[in-house]
Amino acid sequence: MSLDDAQIVNVNNPQQLSSPDSTLQRQVLDLGSKRSRDSERYSSISMSHREINDGDARLVHVNDALKTNERFEFAGNSIKTAKYSLFSFLPRNLFEQFHRVAYIYFLIIAILNQLPQLAVFGRGASILPLSFVLLVTAVKDAYEDWRRHRSDRIENNRMASVLVSDRFQQKKWKDIQVGEIIRFSADDTIPCDTVLLSTSDPTGVAYIQTINLDGESNLKTRYAKQETLCKTPEKDVINGFIKCEKPNRNIYGFMATMEIDGKHLSLGPSNIVLRGCVLKNTNWAVGVAVYCGRETKAMLNSSGAPSKRSRLETRMNREIILLSVFLVALCMAVSVCAGVWLKRHENELEVLQFYRKKDYSEPEVDNYNYSGIGMEIFFTFLMSVIVFQIMIPISLYISMELVRVGQAYFMIRDNKMYDETSNSRFQCRALNINEDLGQIKYVFSDKTGTLTENKMEFKYASIFGVDYSGEKTNFEGEQRGYCIQVNGQVWRPKMKVEVDKELLQLSKDGNNSEAGKHIYDFFLALAACNTIVPIVVDTPDPAEKLVDYQGESPDEQALVYAAAAYGFMLMERTSGHIVIDIQGERQRFNVLGMHEFDSDRKRMSVILGFPDGSVKVIVKGADNSMFNIIDKTSKLDATEGHLQSYSSIGLRTLVVGMRELGVPEFERWQSSYETASTAVMGRVALLRKVAINLENNLEIVGASAIEDRLQKGVPEAIESLRKADMKVWVLTGDKQETAISIGYSSRLLTSNMHQVVINSNSKMSSKTSLEDALITCRNFLVPGGSVALIIDGTSLVYILDDTELEEQLFELASNCAVVLCCRVAPLQKAGIVALIKKRTDDMTLAIGDGANDVSMIQMADVGIGISGQEGRQAVMASDFAMGQFRFLVPLLLVHGHWNYHRMGYMILYNFYRNAVFVLVLFWYVLFTGFTLTTAITEWSSVLYSILYTSAPTIVVAILDKDSSRRSLMAYPQLYGAGQRHESYNSTLFWLTIADTLWQSIVVFYVPLFAYWKSDIDGSSLGDLWTLAVVFLVNIHLAMDVIRWTWVSHASIWGSIIATCICVIVIDVIPVLPGYWAIFDLASKGSFWVCLLGMQIAAVVPRFGVKMFIQHCKPSDIQIAREADKFGSSMELARQEIELNPSRR
Amino acid sequence: MDQKNKNSKKPVYSKFSQQELPAWKPILTPGWVIASYITIGALFIPIGLLAWTASDSVVEIVDRYDEACVPDDFSKNPQSYIQNPNIKKTCTRSIKVPKKLVAPIFVYYQLENFYQNHRRFVKSRSDKQLRDVKAENDTKFCLPVAYDYDNKPIVPCGLIAWSLFNDTYKISTRGKDISIEKKGIAWKSDAKAKFGSNVYPKNFQKDGLIGGATLDESIPLSEQEDLMVWMRTAALPTFRKLYGKINTDIEAHDTIKVEIQNNYNTYKFGGRKKLVLSTTTWIGGKNDFVGMAYISVGGICLFMAINFILLYVFRPRRLGDPSYLSWNRHPIT
Repeated sequence: MSLDDAQIVNVNNPQQLSSPDSTLQRQVLDLGSKRSRDSERYSSISMSHREINDGDARLVHVNDALKTNERFEFAGNSIKTAKYSLFSFLPRNLFEQFHRVAYIYFLIIAILNQLPQLAVFGRGASILPLSFVLLVTAVKDAYEDWRRHRSDRIENNRMASVLVSDRFQQKKWKDIQVGEIIRFSADDTIPCDTVLLSTSDPTGVAYIQTINLDGESNLKTRYAKQETLCKTPEKDVINGFIKCEKPNRNIYGFMATMEIDGKHLSLGPSNIVLRGCVLKNTNWAVGVAVYCGRETKAMLNSSGAPSKRSRLETRMNREIILLSVFLVALCMAVSVCAGVWLKRHENELEVLQFYRKKDYSEPEVDNYNYSGIGMEIFFTFLMSVIVFQIMIPISLYISMELVRVGQAYFMIRDNKMYDETSNSRFQCRALNINEDLGQIKYVFSDKTGTLTENKMEFKYASIFGVDYSGEKTNFEGEQRGYCIQVNGQVWRPKMKVEVDKELLQLSKDGNNSEAGKHIYDFFLALAACNTIVPIVVDTPDPAEKLVDYQGESPDEQALVYAAAAYGFMLMERTSGHIVIDIQGERQRFNVLGMHEFDSDRKRMSVILGFPDGSVKVIVKGADNSMFNIIDKTSKLDATEGHLQSYSSIGLRTLVVGMRELGVPEFERWQSSYETASTAVMGRVALLRKVAINLENNLEIVGASAIEDRLQKGVPEAIESLRKADMKVWVLTGDKQETAISIGYSSRLLTSNMHQVVINSNSKMSSKTSLEDALITCRNFLVPGGSVALIIDGTSLVYILDDTELEEQLFELASNCAVVLCCRVAPLQKAGIVALIKKRTDDMTLAIGDGANDVSMIQMADVGIGISGQEGRQAVMASDFAMGQFRFLVPLLLVHGHWNYHRMGYMILYNFYRNAVFVLVLFWYVLFTGFTLTTAITEWSSVLYSILYTSAPTIVVAILDKDSSRRSLMAYPQLYGAGQRHESYNSTLFWLTIADTLWQSIVVFYVPLFAYWKSDIDGSSLGDLWTLAVVFLVNIHLAMDVIRWTWVSHASIWGSIIATCICVIVIDVIPVLPGYWAIFDLASKGSFWVCLLGMQIAAVVPRFGVKMFIQHCKPSDIQIAREADKFGSSMELARQEIELNPSRR
Repeated sequence: MDQKNKNSKKPVYSKFSQQELPAWKPILTPGWVIASYITIGALFIPIGLLAWTASDSVVEIVDRYDEACVPDDFSKNPQSYIQNPNIKKTCTRSIKVPKKLVAPIFVYYQLENFYQNHRRFVKSRSDKQLRDVKAENDTKFCLPVAYDYDNKPIVPCGLIAWSLFNDTYKISTRGKDISIEKKGIAWKSDAKAKFGSNVYPKNFQKDGLIGGATLDESIPLSEQEDLMVWMRTAALPTFRKLYGKINTDIEAHDTIKVEIQNNYNTYKFGGRKKLVLSTTTWIGGKNDFVGMAYISVGGICLFMAINFILLYVFRPRRLGDPSYLSWNRHPIT
């Protein structure tokens, strides 16, 4: 077949071109399943390839917005992310707020209080707590919404050039309609989802940057159809329509057909540019809007982070149920006692001066406000619920939200978690699980991009059975890498690669030798068989240009840069051909077809038309998938040996094969390829079948070895995590040898570990190897010995399928110090996480960077995304995101520990704070004939949890540090406090309740006995109780504060002062019964004596117990704190290590 | 370079954002623990002793008269006695003075089992009406004592005012009357701001059920001190209210005669009535509790101090001793 024939093929079958290209930009290549993004992408692809029924379709008439929108009103392009308008704000915001249980509780209490029978508090006081939280939340929501309004307005008023009556005119974004033709210039942001019609590139290529959409910064290619390419919208009438799917949120899928001038074309994801993308390196592009406004894929995808509930909060809710039981018990007690009292005094009620059952104000005597004992009991019950309402610490939920915001602020602002290289801060996406970070027991980590940098560097090559892994040379000083001359300019690759001198010499010699031929094939294959797009970038020197290879797969980039370094420089790639400069000689190859990478085949292939007219298929892929389709020769065996040695030093390997196609075979392939790529239904499956038919009987060309370096600080980080008694599991798609070698270099595996390897091909063999492994494991379960389990994906398929085996695996894995899973598929990763999650209460954390980690990240209790090289899908699915793996150490050991401790303490303290107040009220009720009188004024009751005692606990929960960062980092074992639930557990809860009981008794009964049989009035005693409780709870908190910064001082002492001011203000209002009580009280010595005595008597037991425990059973944290303060070293801890990277 | 710095998202360093604010990190060492216990003990025992001595120096005479003042023939049915307006309620009690009472002597009446803090009672008042003539119709919370039969507002309205205590005492010794000063028994603040000087009692105890004392309609509320005292509702069901002050000393071993007008009805519910004569000190009236409590808290603290000293002597622990770390006690295998 000649070159011309190939050209003709191109022209005549434009669809054929577009189809392989259509998935070009998604093409990914890797050893394992690493970068395949399978799970998600696959479902989406197959979805987009189902047939479009007329009913499901949207019909867009090109350049005819009127007709398009005639039948169905498609959404316009104005967007509205704001939730409220000026008028809808109040009702909608209230409606949304009342979705929360806490607010409903407040509301019910407030409503109950409005019934005249139950009016415990005055109207104002009863509504205050509810209106306070509503107001705070509403202000917050309003501010956020105002910002959304502002950004909406800016977005909607951006200008775009739209074709109106055959001329392009500027139009605001919000006025763009479906069906209109829009023209973009370079660096324009795309206003809506648009099908490309033509671009400035003669082949119809447009480059776009999707950073706003998925965060990937490399350029992607999009294509206009050949049929529309030649039309200029101003002059030519474009007559046609597009039939496409209903709007959906799949940004990688698009399925449509276009009918233009009577021709039927199929459109795929490569023909559409999405809202939010930016046109780059293309002078202009013209397209027709198909989805606008809220129906664009970008808008459909803008959803928030998943909401999770932290472990601590779940446990807390259990205790809150207990508190509700207490509350009901208190109310029952009061109402039953009230009933008994009424029964005993039933005959006297009429004459009791203080009861007056009858109303004598009318001549006709009637019952006054009395409806029988039964009803009175019932009312008493409800009233006591109102009076004791804060027993259930609803304000705690609001405080927790505030505290988490504060904690998130500190995590985000932490300099030690800022990544210089990617210029990214730590991100808190989920706001509800900060404290879970302090209790992690299992860490599941991805390897590539997480432990390693995912910056691939070409290392060695094995070419036709010959290993070229000799000395490398650096260019420094010698020559400046390979470069070519183009139009008097020097073009050189952007990245330099270290080259093997011998190989370089051989490749320069070219086809003269046998070896040279093979080398030629090898590098040509590397330069051609990929999806890399070369972009020429200017440099300050006008005579010099840099070639930047853009593509999604870092492996491919590394290979293309390597090929360029050895003199095979990819210069140009269009949909139909590539130009490669081979040792200074420019050659053009026709790309006749391309079979993209998929995770089933684990390889890709390209069908290349050579300048001499021959046609070859070049296949590149993972070794195990390639060895089946390459003819067995001695060269293959040699290559296999080289691959073994490469992967044993942790390199990623790829195998390249090649075969020349005869004319009949080529034609056969071409026709089936054509049919498959224009198929509307099942296109992907058909294409795969065509590929499998083609990819066989290959001849070995060679193999490449790429190094993926470990990220900075990874070994140290893993060591810290393991010392913190966390089990680190690495789940990777890599080969076993690669995984093990990375395991060694990352200090996951050590030489004194016994390795148990499970590689099975059937259920039976997995069973036996599991059983064997369990026995081995038990033998090694002696102090000092540890076992590492290495298991591969195939075995996992059988094991995770069977509950019994799963159980055995769990037992085995939980006895192993380290677990390495290699060759695992994305869904298996989630399966492994689920295996642990189902069987233990321990917290799991998954960390990964790629789309293949998404399922694992979502499955784990805490999901962490690495915002690295590989797009942002992992980040989008994660709860927290950061730049480097090593940040996990400060995140868990320092922030996680602090957050957990702070939150645990805050919950207990809030239980105590509210319960002590309720109990004081309760004791008083026993002395009022069970009638729920409160000596404490209603305003103080209401302000107690809002104003008197709220700020210090929030401040302490945000700022207090139970141990210094230095100690926490130096002694990772301190992290065990969270794993052992040391800051919040039922023992602590019951101790707190006992302490609460004692303190409330002291606070209530000391004044009671001191003023028994005296002439004290209710208001004065109420003031004394108010001050005593507030002082006490603040002193209680002060006793537990570990670091006194000015903020803690201000909040604690400030609260006490604020309380005094409030009590005084309430007592200078003459229409309140308690007028001047505080002044009268304070003028007497007994008040001061009582106040002091109560505080001391209340805290003495707590102080004693605390000091006793601190001395006899000190916690690790306590010791660390002492060592920190008194400078003594904790040298007995021999395992001390330096964590330099995270310390700096 | 500038450009790069501008785009950098590196968090700006501040001591606050890095959680490195200077802080005081107290650690309670054994010395501090023992010192604080001893300090508290050393402080509390003297205060307790002082309070106890003060309370001990108070002379208090308490005389329960509710039962004794009912004539024998009515003892089965005190109700019919107290409710019958035609029977004279005068009753004379002789009380021996055990110790010298030094002026000022406070005369209290003490009610027991009388729930002045009962919800129905406490709420039944109108503070606006008490201080402002114009608000005399503000009787919303006063029911059922808000209006008389003619539907005119009662001033002062409400159960509290309605149930005003109306026993009276006359004291004499050695045949000489001792005057009881009734002025200045209420809080000055009440007379000044809470009870209006231009608000006069109206329609008070006119019809319906009579609950207690009547008020002189020619005297403004701000001078009705008994009412003011009564309306400072007591905190507890056993309470005292100031009746008056005696500004002369009463010698020890004297016998005082008290002529009581026994009007107030507490018989139905067994509410006791007592007359109390008492001197006061800085701690208030007679109350041993405060002193005892202080002495016991102080004692406990000293006891704790001794215990902690023993603990530190016999089970010492070096601060920051790593051998107490959990991973050193049970090494991780």
